[in-house]
Amino acid sequence: MNRLTRRSFLQLSTRLVALMGLGSSAIPRVAEALEEIAQGKTRVLWLQGQCCSGCSVSLLDAESLPPASLLTKYICLQFHQTLSSATGSQAVEVVNKVISQGKYVLIVEGSVPAKMPKACLFGDEPFGDQLARAARNSTAVLAVGACAAFGGIPAAENNPTGAMSVPDFLKSQSLAVPTIRVPGCPFNPDWLVGTVVHVLKFGLPPLDSLGRPTMFFSRLMHDQCPRFADYERERFARTFGEEGCLFKLGCLGPITKTDCNLRHFNGGINACIRAGAPCIGCGGEGFAAKASLPFITKSRAAGKES
Amino acid sequence: MESNRVARAFVSGEMFRGFEVILRGRDPLDAQHITQRICGVCPVEHGVASVLAQEMAYKLAPAENGRIARNLIQGVNFIMSGMTHFYLLSGLDFVDVAMITGYQGKDHALLALQAWVKSQLSSGQVYPAAPFLPRYAAKYLQDQDANFGALKHYLDALELRAVAHQMSAVFAGKMPHAATLVPGGITDKISALKIAQFKSMLERVSDFIEESYLPDVIAVAKAFPDYFALGQGCGNFLAYGAFAESADGKAKLLPAGLLVGGKLQPLDPEAITEDVSQSFFASASGRKPADGETTAASDKAGAYSWLKAPRYQSQVMEVGPLARVLVAYHDGSNPALKQATDGLLKALGREPKDLVSVMGRHAARALECKLLADRCAQWVDQLVPGAPAFNDFEVPESGQGFGLTEAARGALGHWLEIRGHKISNYQCVVPTTWNCSPRDDRGVAGPMEQALVGTPVADPENPIEAVRVVRSFDPCLACAVH
Repeated sequence: MNRLTRRSFLQLSTRLVALMGLGSSAIPRVAEALEEIAQGKTRVLWLQGQCCSGCSVSLLDAESLPPASLLTKYICLQFHQTLSSATGSQAVEVVNKVISQGKYVLIVEGSVPAKMPKACLFGDEPFGDQLARAARNSTAVLAVGACAAFGGIPAAENNPTGAMSVPDFLKSQSLAVPTIRVPGCPFNPDWLVGTVVHVLKFGLPPLDSLGRPTMFFSRLMHDQCPRFADYERERFARTFGEEGCLFKLGCLGPITKTDCNLRHFNGGINACIRAGAPCIGCGGEGFAAKASLPFITKSRAAGKES
Repeated sequence: MESNRVARAFVSGEMFRGFEVILRGRDPLDAQHITQRICGVCPVEHGVASVLAQEMAYKLAPAENGRIARNLIQGVNFIMSGMTHFYLLSGLDFVDVAMITGYQGKDHALLALQAWVKSQLSSGQVYPAAPFLPRYAAKYLQDQDANFGALKHYLDALELRAVAHQMSAVFAGKMPHAATLVPGGITDKISALKIAQFKSMLERVSDFIEESYLPDVIAVAKAFPDYFALGQGCGNFLAYGAFAESADGKAKLLPAGLLVGGKLQPLDPEAITEDVSQSFFASASGRKPADGETTAASDKAGAYSWLKAPRYQSQVMEVGPLARVLVAYHDGSNPALKQATDGLLKALGREPKDLVSVMGRHAARALECKLLADRCAQWVDQLVPGAPAFNDFEVPESGQGFGLTEAARGALGHWLEIRGHKISNYQCVVPTTWNCSPRDDRGVAGPMEQALVGTPVADPENPIEAVRVVRSFDPCLACAVH
């Protein structure tokens, strides 16, 4: 039969343990976690606020777990706005029943329009109200992607909706639920898969002062940059397509703590800096927040040196 | 609903972020990054619309390698989106996932799915087999083998849509949200290795489109013939055209044009306006996007949607794969498309007029994926390793431009104005804004609202027929409101 065997759990665990940077002694425990998830014991509720669905799309690009297995064997996904067959009033009913049962991990994609509640509704309910209800009954909240984790573009300067990150919103509602930030625009799917598996078996992973798992977000991108030697030799690219460090084009690698330069995206095929694109800091807390910190400093007004 | 038919329909967008407001005062080179975040499914198309608008404002043409690489990134995203829509987003409205419990074959992936569904059904959970269940009770595909085939391809499509993203990322840096798109081309370099990587993955995706996606669409279309007569909509079609075949962008793989009352018309971008009288905006109604405004008013009386109502010469327009295929079919500038359309109609035993329907939209989407896969195989061979992929530019103190292209879901336009080196106005008119538009100043309903009216619904508790009409447009409300 095609049930996953103990051996296949162990093989997968080995990959995941490497991915999370844990020691090999953790392999049996991760295998156990996977078996538990495969038995449908851990339920996941995925809610969307002000978002673009790019994080959901990124999850489907996961290489560490093939997406078909992820959906059927590894997470018991009770509801997801775009993936669920349920729609309309049926969708509202499903979400409410899951919330009333409790005991699920809540994954939230998107920000909360705190000053304009009608800017995001599910059924007729403001998203903030739904989020507060869902967070109260959850075992843990994962604020995934830039918008949920730090507010992202919806919360940028001059935004009209008063958008807030999920942790800030929960705090404003005096809701104390263990909350993890998995930022990125979108997140790298490994970051989410690694964090979810850790939460399910080992509890909260070690977090930094901002609530990000240190296994993915502890080192500056700059330190692991393929162009670091160019920086050291002060060999700077002056425009796109040139060799050299991208710092003078506005690269935010020196202030952004993610492992993109080691992990890469889309099955390792490419990554921003490797592709000549300056880091825009999408994994950092200040992503897109200020007009005075543009992504690219190529125009004179944006600080280009002549 | 009146006597089991949809009598009136109101389509409402329920999420607003304010991208156009946020963009004001920012550096123009922020735009291709920020606007991509309007939508995680079609970021590339927003990025392309933004760099096209900037190139017009900067009086800049992209480097040849950059132009071709952008076509590849965008073309593959159409394919990714088409497969995702048919299998993951709308397929289970037709395919009977529950039939898997009776599967007696030997396919590994299907047996795994069967084991999972069976264990879920006996698990005592409130919602076993989520996210595939619960669903509306309805008549699904009856033919067992067709169901098993489509379910197998559902699992294949899950994997191949990720492969398609890998193909885009070869030149885009990463997906979703491409890193390399800039005015003048792309930031990445073209190498022989990249060309080879792209080609080998394209072969897999092309095979899937030909051997699975198109046959499945034909099988579903034949099993649900009623849906060639449902969801016709407004009958007007608009395409901006896309995929520059020359440096000046004038020659395009998919042509621009309109089809109004069955007659082909040339596109005049000046004829586009947006009404807001029934939308949650306090700004003036009927403005051209170049002078557009976005002032939110979430409590506005009489409004029911966060979408504006785009109109062309005050007329309602459907956009999307069906619009593109019909415009190109009548325009005749793409013989491969005309031939493929005739071939598909023959396989379906249908006339061109039947395409204006729920099934026609699915068929047009699949057809376009096949054409783009074939054209991508030619484009990738036009890349020159080592040649520039980027033409340099200076951001001017002031300027104006617009970028018209196509997203998988239809005509997409960005309008940009620069003052003092900063964005002074930015407006996006997005495919789903056209298709899901609310009523306009004259009270005329949008394309999807019109398509829903008259749809028979056998069981109002299980309105699957209406769901099938809605999903045939492949709506994306994140895009539509932005």
